[in-house]
Amino acid sequence: MSSGRRVGITGIGLVTALGLEEEEIWGALMAGRTGIAAVTGFDVSKLPCGVAAQVENTALEREVAALGRLPGDRTTDMALIAAGRALTQAGLRDDDARRGAGTLLGTGMGPAHTFFEAYESYYAKGVKGLRPTTVPRAMYNALSAQVSMVFGLTGPNYVVVSACASATNALGDGFRRIRDGHLDLALCGGAESFVNPLFFGVWNRLGVLSKERDPARACRSFDGSRDGTVLGEGAAVLVLEDLDRARGRGARVRGEILGYGESSDAGHLTRPSVEGQCVAMRQALASAGVEPADLAYVNAHGTATPSNDAAECASLREVLGGEADRIPVGSTKPFFGHTLGASGAIETALTLASLERGMVPGNRTLEGRDTQCAVRLVGREPEPITGSLAMKNSFGFGGGNAVLIIHRWES
Amino acid sequence: MKREEILERLKGVMEEAATEPIDWSKAEESTPLAGLGFDSLAILDVLYGVEQEFEIEVDAEEVADLETLGELLSALEERIEP
Repeated sequence: MSSGRRVGITGIGLVTALGLEEEEIWGALMAGRTGIAAVTGFDVSKLPCGVAAQVENTALEREVAALGRLPGDRTTDMALIAAGRALTQAGLRDDDARRGAGTLLGTGMGPAHTFFEAYESYYAKGVKGLRPTTVPRAMYNALSAQVSMVFGLTGPNYVVVSACASATNALGDGFRRIRDGHLDLALCGGAESFVNPLFFGVWNRLGVLSKERDPARACRSFDGSRDGTVLGEGAAVLVLEDLDRARGRGARVRGEILGYGESSDAGHLTRPSVEGQCVAMRQALASAGVEPADLAYVNAHGTATPSNDAAECASLREVLGGEADRIPVGSTKPFFGHTLGASGAIETALTLASLERGMVPGNRTLEGRDTQCAVRLVGREPEPITGSLAMKNSFGFGGGNAVLIIHRWES
Repeated sequence: MKREEILERLKGVMEEAATEPIDWSKAEESTPLAGLGFDSLAILDVLYGVEQEFEIEVDAEEVADLETLGELLSALEERIEP
């Protein structure tokens, strides 16, 4: 077990296709309601995949205005909104105690809308058509830089880019920095927004998206008929804090990150490796000093691609052994879509919420399990759980694997 | 083009370039651009916006010393065809 300080979670901010308020989001999870819908904003009729989980525009406009700002890049705005809400929940929004916080955020596609607008302007009008501030708006670290500037946070700020593992890597990095005494406070999470003609188009070309036109049936994690993932946009930021300091200032501690593991497959660019995933999961469990028998739930990467779900279930069986017959495994991507660089943070937040409430969301699109997915899967409906520990998996293109062990707060 | 018309169109350009809402009720010709929330980066976007809006070319170096809204308006008046 890794020695060092304990790392509490004292605030969470969410921006999702199911809303921004935790109660509203949880209600949707319990009702089996998805944020996946037909894509709006541009014509997708000729694309293989025409659905995604998009955040409601009026909610974004309202929240950006509440920050005293005008809309900027959509991904950056989501990061700002999530960070502000996390700081507010942690009781740090206007407190000088926030000042030295680090900002470590994940993203896979960065400020993709700003890039797309720049491409459009360039091909229409040449260099003179490019907005002069494109560089500071489109640079990937605009996400963390803006959070640092807007909220006055003077710790290190940077962005982690490791595809679908980005936010989990960012959370793990923040966990280690606090555990090892380099930081007392860190805003960690991720933001992703890229549903525009170019970026949605390139994802369609890769052939990993579901061709299901019915939004209610797309993204069928672990299902025998699954045919690909569905993308989503969103953001989540968690306030990680030295536990002694948090308790000392009377903060409400929601949970802890107990452990973290990471690895690379060093194999295929997009196909997962069971071996690589097992290394990360075992490392996470060891760093938390826990065994599979201690886990109440696994929030899987569960993208609903044929390859991921089979490999992940094989990895889980390998690592959990006989406990794989007991520990409920669920994917929340059928609710939020696959939010890529934000997925690890959104899903970690909802994993903690599941532990707090003693309920896990259903695998809402499971119709008939794939026999290759031979672990104990949550059914279509939410289920109660007992226990205070969960494992969160994220496995990214490029072979990056990142796993967190989350603990519900028990006073 | 009349100064008033330039100002109205300039306001639209400035709102596009701004990162925070502008309180126009507090804006006079003597108001510094920095006071309206425009730092050196945002000014670049304003100049880009006026180039697109008024179909003129603005050399950033030539207008580097502009400080107030009125000075910007005058610079535009000089460059826009009447």
